[in-house]
Amino acid sequence: MPARNAKSLEAQRSRAAEEWAALQNNSRPVIYVGAGSCGLAAGAEEVIEAMESYLAKNKIEADLLRVGCIGPCYLEPLVDIQMPGRPRISYSNNTPALIQDVLESFFEKGEVYQRRLVGHLGADGGDGLPRFFDHPMLARQVRIVLRNCGIIDPENTGHYLARDGYRAFEKCLTLPWTEVLDIVKKSGLRGRGGAGFPTWRKWQICRENESDTRYMICNADEGDPGAFMNRSLIEGDPHAVLEGLLIAGYTIGARQGTIYIRAEYPLAIERLRRALADMRELGLLGERILGSDFSFDIKIKEGAGAFVCGEETALIAGIEGRRGMPRTRPPFPAQEGLWGKPTIINNVETLATLPHIIRHGAEWFSQYGTETSKGTKTFSLVGKVRRTGLIEVPLGMTLRSVIYDVGGGLVKEFKAVQTGGPSGGCLSEEFLDLPIDYESLTAAGSIMGSGGLIVVDRNTCIVDTAKYFLNFTQAESCGKCVPCRVGTRHLVHILERISQGKGELDDLAKLEHLARSIKGGSLCGLGQTAPNPVLSTIRYFRDEFLAHIKDKRCPAAVCRDLVVYRIIKDKCTGCQRCVQVCPTGAISGPRSEAHNLDESKCIKCRSCYEICRFDAIAGDAIVIESRA
Amino acid sequence: MSPKPVRAREARTIIIEIDHRPVSCPEGVSVLRAAELGGIAIPSLCSHKDLSAFGGCRLCMVEIEGMRGYPLACSTIVAEGMKVLTESAALRDMRREILELILSEHPSSCLICDEQEECRQSMVTIRKAGVSTGCRYCPNDGQCELQAVVERLGVRDIHYPVYYRGYEAEHDDPFFDRDYNICILCGRCVRMCQEVRGASVLAFKFRGPKTQVGPAFGRSHLESGCEFCGACVSVCPTGTLADKVSKWDGRPDGFKISTCPFCGLGCQIELHHKNGRLSRVNPGLDPEINNGQLCVRGRFCLPETTHHHQRAKKPGLRRGRYFREVTWAEALDEVSSRLKGLGPKDILMVVSSDLTNESLFAAQKFMRTCLKSNSIDSTARWTLPGGVGLWASLFSLPISIKAISSAEAIIAVGLDSRFSFSVAGVEVRRALKEGSTLVTIDSNESNLARYTGHWLRPAPEKQGAAFKLLTERLLASGQKKGSSADLKKTGLDEEGLEKAVDALWPARDLAVVVGPAAFAQDGGQDIARALVKLSERPNTTILPLYQGANTRGALELGVFGEFLPGLARAKEPGLRLADVLEGKAKPKVIYLVGEVPFFKRPDCEFVISQDIYHPPFEVDAFLPASSFAEAEGTLTNVEGRVQELVRVEDLPDSASNGFSRPDWFIFGEISKKLSCPGLEYADSKQVLQEISRTVAGYPAAPDRRPRRFKPAENIPWDKPPASPSPAAEDGFRLVVEPGGFRHRGIDLSSVVEGLSELRLEEAFRLHPEDMQRLGLQNGDIIKVGLDGWAVTAPVRADADCFAGAVYIHRPLAYGGIGHRRGLEPLYRLSGDSLRVKIARGEQPAGQSCVLPGPGKTGS
Repeated sequence: MPARNAKSLEAQRSRAAEEWAALQNNSRPVIYVGAGSCGLAAGAEEVIEAMESYLAKNKIEADLLRVGCIGPCYLEPLVDIQMPGRPRISYSNNTPALIQDVLESFFEKGEVYQRRLVGHLGADGGDGLPRFFDHPMLARQVRIVLRNCGIIDPENTGHYLARDGYRAFEKCLTLPWTEVLDIVKKSGLRGRGGAGFPTWRKWQICRENESDTRYMICNADEGDPGAFMNRSLIEGDPHAVLEGLLIAGYTIGARQGTIYIRAEYPLAIERLRRALADMRELGLLGERILGSDFSFDIKIKEGAGAFVCGEETALIAGIEGRRGMPRTRPPFPAQEGLWGKPTIINNVETLATLPHIIRHGAEWFSQYGTETSKGTKTFSLVGKVRRTGLIEVPLGMTLRSVIYDVGGGLVKEFKAVQTGGPSGGCLSEEFLDLPIDYESLTAAGSIMGSGGLIVVDRNTCIVDTAKYFLNFTQAESCGKCVPCRVGTRHLVHILERISQGKGELDDLAKLEHLARSIKGGSLCGLGQTAPNPVLSTIRYFRDEFLAHIKDKRCPAAVCRDLVVYRIIKDKCTGCQRCVQVCPTGAISGPRSEAHNLDESKCIKCRSCYEICRFDAIAGDAIVIESRA
Repeated sequence: MSPKPVRAREARTIIIEIDHRPVSCPEGVSVLRAAELGGIAIPSLCSHKDLSAFGGCRLCMVEIEGMRGYPLACSTIVAEGMKVLTESAALRDMRREILELILSEHPSSCLICDEQEECRQSMVTIRKAGVSTGCRYCPNDGQCELQAVVERLGVRDIHYPVYYRGYEAEHDDPFFDRDYNICILCGRCVRMCQEVRGASVLAFKFRGPKTQVGPAFGRSHLESGCEFCGACVSVCPTGTLADKVSKWDGRPDGFKISTCPFCGLGCQIELHHKNGRLSRVNPGLDPEINNGQLCVRGRFCLPETTHHHQRAKKPGLRRGRYFREVTWAEALDEVSSRLKGLGPKDILMVVSSDLTNESLFAAQKFMRTCLKSNSIDSTARWTLPGGVGLWASLFSLPISIKAISSAEAIIAVGLDSRFSFSVAGVEVRRALKEGSTLVTIDSNESNLARYTGHWLRPAPEKQGAAFKLLTERLLASGQKKGSSADLKKTGLDEEGLEKAVDALWPARDLAVVVGPAAFAQDGGQDIARALVKLSERPNTTILPLYQGANTRGALELGVFGEFLPGLARAKEPGLRLADVLEGKAKPKVIYLVGEVPFFKRPDCEFVISQDIYHPPFEVDAFLPASSFAEAEGTLTNVEGRVQELVRVEDLPDSASNGFSRPDWFIFGEISKKLSCPGLEYADSKQVLQEISRTVAGYPAAPDRRPRRFKPAENIPWDKPPASPSPAAEDGFRLVVEPGGFRHRGIDLSSVVEGLSELRLEEAFRLHPEDMQRLGLQNGDIIKVGLDGWAVTAPVRADADCFAGAVYIHRPLAYGGIGHRRGLEPLYRLSGDSLRVKIARGEQPAGQSCVLPGPGKTGS
């Protein structure tokens, strides 16, 4: 029976709570598979197939739940097995063959499989097994927004309800909007989309604008390369975002909410659609929600994949059916936004944080974080760290802590961490003890951004990194304003010259000058922040730039025009593999004797390097070195 | 209910400080505009007075106290006490930097070439490649806003490599060329097309450095619904968009403000001239009528119409079997000798409604005083369906073009403003942007029907009835009135009509626009009656449209056998054109002035043609008349404004320049030969002064104020024409519309190539579904008719047409469809909405030539 008022929702919730409890104290085996995009990319689908055929073959009755990303993406596909009366035990890096062993162990031998066991997710005790959340990657995290991710079945609204879902929204309905605003204000929540504008301030401006209509928009156009926090969150716990959207809509007095989400996130869109259908069923959308005076509806707008559409005014243009091009501000969207009406655009994570703030109170939330940056923040920790994945840490944690404690450090020597995606900057080792908060990062010449953390080691060329990000922004510039459209192109051009060894001494000054013009002259945030990767890399890695320019040398041995390939004679066994793959015949030599590499013929295609590394008998006999 | 229109209130004046100077400006304007008002020019390339702020070129950045960074003058709204600095070292550096960036995307040989100065000085040809030196990379050299800004900011060299985009220049669409290699992406054209014209043909495509302007999805302009109004060309600050006709002319010597001679709206135009010849036309900025906008005809067709290689240049006479070019003296001698001693009914003069007031007046005076005959007639009768009386009534109502844009509600009947009367369409859209309500009554899917949720679609011949019904309901305080039988006859549904009435009812200011096609069907009487009624409603203006530039002038000046100037009754009516066409009269001499209402030589002793092109049949005397560019005069527009036609071409007589003379002058010359005084005018001004003395209310000098016509006496309306055709229920409706693209008796598409590329050449038009059902292809020859008469012409598909009807323009002009010989019977048709049969004109052997009727779809 669909819930239509608060009472029936409560009834629905208690039913859901019973089902959830039954799932915890299961009478038959339950298998959880990490089937977010990360799990699927790692091969979860094949693992599921293997498990299903195993279960069918052995006529075992078990529940198989697809859950979202629980965090340590490098361990995916993760499979949790929960036998009746046993805790939920998690296994990492599964393959169809390996999962066979795990299942056999549980179902045929009745034993807990010990290899690749990450930990149990049950209450304390757990047969003496380690706790999942004591895993070094997770131990220092504070999971508020990600509370449900990987735990519940995101397509089962009951699971969300059972875990206090929509209680915060119900509480809001009993409060005047001013009070909700007050709670958010006291919590110190700032926009998680990047700029860190206080959420309550934006809301207040919007609400205080005289208007018959206001709009609420969820910005799920996550476009930074290497960032996947929002996608994972929606895939793992869509209702948290939707509940936040309801709360925000209630507070600003909107009747219509729109989720602007990239079309490249099909799974997230699918989960949202299901969740919206369930909400409608529960009476959480539509006219007079739960018998209150609040009417609200949510629709999904799929973006066509333009980075600039993450910018508020471009996003609005996209929803209105126009080309996603930013316009000048003021007026700000909170004054004149969608269809000319006051509009609030909040990031996915900002919205997903709201239910927790409302439920637990502003003080509880503000106990996390620093003086100016409250709460926790999700990051996608990627790059050359040992443990990559989706993390949530209290603001104020140092970069070192995140990279070394959570991320497990690097295999090779640390060089830089890139925060904030293409709008952010590269920070060097001296900033490792910098606390992660809005002000510190900005002062260091980077930004918090939406939460991408890309760690690079000494094998990464910093000029190449800057070039990569600039290439991205210049290609994603909407083309409207001159500094961004043309300026970034020249930046790329100069960087390309430098990486080709054609740089000149005044190039750095040129880059800095042009970068400042672009920052000062561009229309929207994309252009205004686009030069950040260049500026920060020049600021902290000037030597490396100079090595490229003056010495025509790439210390990381990345820039193709500045490296040489060399065969280490002592290591080479003369297996001829490299001779076979070399397209230009640059490598020669009889079998079983160290080969020769003719530099004049070498086109640096990397084929020999790869084959020597992985397939050849010797391995690593071919090295790429910076030109002397 | 539609939202209440938001109207701009009278803005308060505020004072701000710009460059330490106080500047007063209205509240709500941009800093850029305020600076302009204060006489301070801020460099800018993407802003335009008619367009919304864009903020793309970034050149107008200023410093404003209390604001971060460099806000843009174009998009920052003034506030009381604001302190703005438009020049500072930092701003100058920033601007130069940005300009360099712009130039690095803009092949800029015109700016930094060493030969630049010499090149400009010795550029004496108008060819694409300079003869003496240098190149002509860009057609806009010397007229380029970018060049001006570069000069102003003093940028001499560029510190960045220059990128060439390598696009192919686009020449495929008619009228204007596009070279997006030199586009600076200021977006003016895009905004113009969307915001002002409402056509939304142009858009930005792709992103980053690949960003480009053009129709989406790689379609051509034609396919995308381009109106070819040239508004984009006019606002382009560079040479990216350039009209084909004049693009290599270089900087014009100057321009004169004139009036467009192509339709009754009387748009103001800038006639640019170079070396004594008309080179191009730009819209006049005068806010009264067109406010910087034009249609395809006014914008692009004028130079070709007057300079076409077939233009008649010398007088000619037929001597025996040969037609020869002669001198004016010979021609005048021959013509006057022929005119001597004719009786009042031995001659018929037919005058075009495209002539100037002066020429029209001189024509009728010549006939009446020199030849003592009232046998003058004008094709204005065809362009004013319903008759002189009906239109005399309409012209005495409050007519206004400008009122449309400020009206709270608009009713548009039978008007497609894509290519004709575009300016009226622009005004409608301007109003819609302000929140007005539009109700469209149109049996065709016109472009105005696409802008409204209230599109009432009656059968083609019921537009008048539908409008009448709507008017009745509206005037009856919105209450339901009128029988359902009336409703049923019109083919409208009750709900749609009621919604339309509800939407119109609360409006204070109401404007009604009626296209010419609506009058043509149904005798125009229903519409006219409703318009008269509706005009009694306070704050209501009408705009009844017709073909012909000076049709209203022709009516007021009485170029008809039965009417004298001012529409006083003639004592003894002369011959009428219809009499000759129907064979009721057979004058000895037919004198055609600017009009070719015959397809073959009329049966008479002597035919005189006085025109800018030769007629398609043999005449006995030809007198070359001056075109709109070559003579002065006035035209009376639909509102009664008497507007000036300015002479821009003033070249000495020669074989290439021609020997043309103004029409009124030719009449004077003949009258001299006939020793008849009273027509020796020194210039056109004298004629207008005489008109002013003769016709009450006519000004003695060009007067651009709207004027309501007061006929000398009350003229009864014609009886509605009876339908002569027996009702063949399964036949197609034949809709004979006035119109086509005509000027002085020629089909413009026969001299302006671009118009035929737009597929505006005249032909039968059918709905594509009907075409398919009948197995017809575009260009097939069909025979349309019933009961012994038949008209043969090509057919083409037109998706806007009403299914079950076949459309054709009433043939009045020469050119186009195979010289129109197959259209002859249409002359004699006076009734409308006949039911006709369609047959293949050239049927394949063994096939039945008669094609089935439209069946149920048409009824």
